[in-house]
Amino acid sequence: MERTLTGPSMRSAIWAKIGQNLVASIVIGGSVAAGIALAVLAGPAQLINSIVTGGMWALMSVGLALVFGVMNIPHFAHGESFMVGAYVAYFVFTPLHKYLKTNPNAFLSTMAPFIAILAATLVGFVLGVIIEKLIFYPLRRRTRAQWVMNTFLITVGISFIMTNGATLVLGPNFRGIPRYWDVDPIKFLGVRIAFDRIVAFAIAIVTIAAFWFFLHSTQTGRAIRAVAQDEDGAQMVGIDLNFIHSLTFGLATAMAALAGASLLFMFQAYPTVGLKPLYFAWYVVMLVGLGNIGGAIIGGFIVALLQTATQQFIGIAWEDVIPTIVMILVLLLAPSGIFGSEVKGVHEQ
Amino acid sequence: MLEVKDLNAGYDFLQVLWDVSLHVSEGEFVALIGPNGAGKTTTLRTIAGLLSPMSGEILFKGKPITHLPAHKVSRIGISYISESLNLFPKMTVRENLLLGAYAVRDRKRISESLDFVFDLFPRLAERSSQLAGTLSGGERKMLAIARGMMSNPELLLVDEPSLGLAPKLAQRVFDALQELRRRGVTILLVEQNVNITLEITDRAYVLEQGRIVLEGKSSELSQNEHVKHVYLGI
Repeated sequence: MERTLTGPSMRSAIWAKIGQNLVASIVIGGSVAAGIALAVLAGPAQLINSIVTGGMWALMSVGLALVFGVMNIPHFAHGESFMVGAYVAYFVFTPLHKYLKTNPNAFLSTMAPFIAILAATLVGFVLGVIIEKLIFYPLRRRTRAQWVMNTFLITVGISFIMTNGATLVLGPNFRGIPRYWDVDPIKFLGVRIAFDRIVAFAIAIVTIAAFWFFLHSTQTGRAIRAVAQDEDGAQMVGIDLNFIHSLTFGLATAMAALAGASLLFMFQAYPTVGLKPLYFAWYVVMLVGLGNIGGAIIGGFIVALLQTATQQFIGIAWEDVIPTIVMILVLLLAPSGIFGSEVKGVHEQ
Repeated sequence: MLEVKDLNAGYDFLQVLWDVSLHVSEGEFVALIGPNGAGKTTTLRTIAGLLSPMSGEILFKGKPITHLPAHKVSRIGISYISESLNLFPKMTVRENLLLGAYAVRDRKRISESLDFVFDLFPRLAERSSQLAGTLSGGERKMLAIARGMMSNPELLLVDEPSLGLAPKLAQRVFDALQELRRRGVTILLVEQNVNITLEITDRAYVLEQGRIVLEGKSSELSQNEHVKHVYLGI
């Protein structure tokens, strides 16, 4: 949409831009400072810790940003995808692990965690496609009126059903594993890092890089971005909206499930395990700008740094408070987030 | 090639088109003219599948496409170039063009189409790595037409290509349409600039208040008293 700004509106637009850049600089500068403070005062272990967590928050946030950018759905059941991923990984890995104890097999021991994580990702994808086809597709056909509000309420409902369903079927018990790989921690910069953490970080980075490549260098990926930018235009060039919506929701759910599975050694599987990752993913997307996928990647690390610095210097109980305060301040001063967002349609619908 | 029979269409409770019938033969350059709010854009959007008609029939090469969704209409060889262009502003010119060939799987054909549109609009070749949202108005029109041509369509539906362009740029766009027509593309053009439109097209329909009130050869219509009085200001 082209708009010509003149006079006062022009001036306020310029001020808004300056305000946004200022807030962005402060937030990014602040997190870099927090990172340096962590490294100097608490040792590199904490810094490395927050980078590992950051990769996972980034993975969660990219899915959230994707669903909002392409489908305009404020996805509040994203944490339940994380929960499903954790459960699937647990139920695939535990029997495999038991079997390997009686029948040692070096190759299978290395591969078992990957099998579990891959299974969780696939289940996540299928679950996402089913939810889209069963719920959002019929709603989209019926009406697009009040879309954002309706889908918000629906996702909250899905979240309730899934957490209570999990409690009903699996009970409220915690199901976790001490570690995926029986490997000694690896020494890096004089710090011992658990092998699981390194793999989790590598999975996050590889997945995000592969996804970025997919979005920018394949026709299907471009089609997803096209739908986010102009739905009519996308249909005019022959893109099937229903296919892209199902694919998008499936991919986002798969990424959350992948995060849940990769972090099973940190977050045990239980019905409401997804709440915290959901909140942090929302902090990230609000901080960087709704629907901004590139920003979500950086934002994941920013929030993780803030979180770890808070734990270290203020106290673990404050870990939710500080990111929330930062988020509120950012929203007050730069309402569209530090990197801005131009999500189509939210105001029209 | 395209046949529209007794089309009734509109938005919710507001009916815009009343029994509109028109046809476009292969290789023809046909115009649809009329005042603002007559339903010209609604006609094109309905043919393109973005709007489902209330009643009536649309045939393309003899086959009914009346309720076909827009992405399928695009895939059978009809490209719609809308008034608002519907470009992808945060993608490069090249990415926009590649998406124009979304349904084409043959890489060789895609690169041939790219050569074709870059030959038609050399300006786009210079700007191929620039974001579409940063192009000038004239360049954006060219990009929209070029994107529409990337799927090798047999029929081009063009909505108000001269809108918002300086006369010189508008003339360029009309030249491009004539060039496409010479290369064998069938075109249905909606235009407010009746003077030039009647000069370059073969036939024209006049749409007023959702009804076709006049039709005929463009050269004859430009002599028609009603057209002269209302549209040409003579």
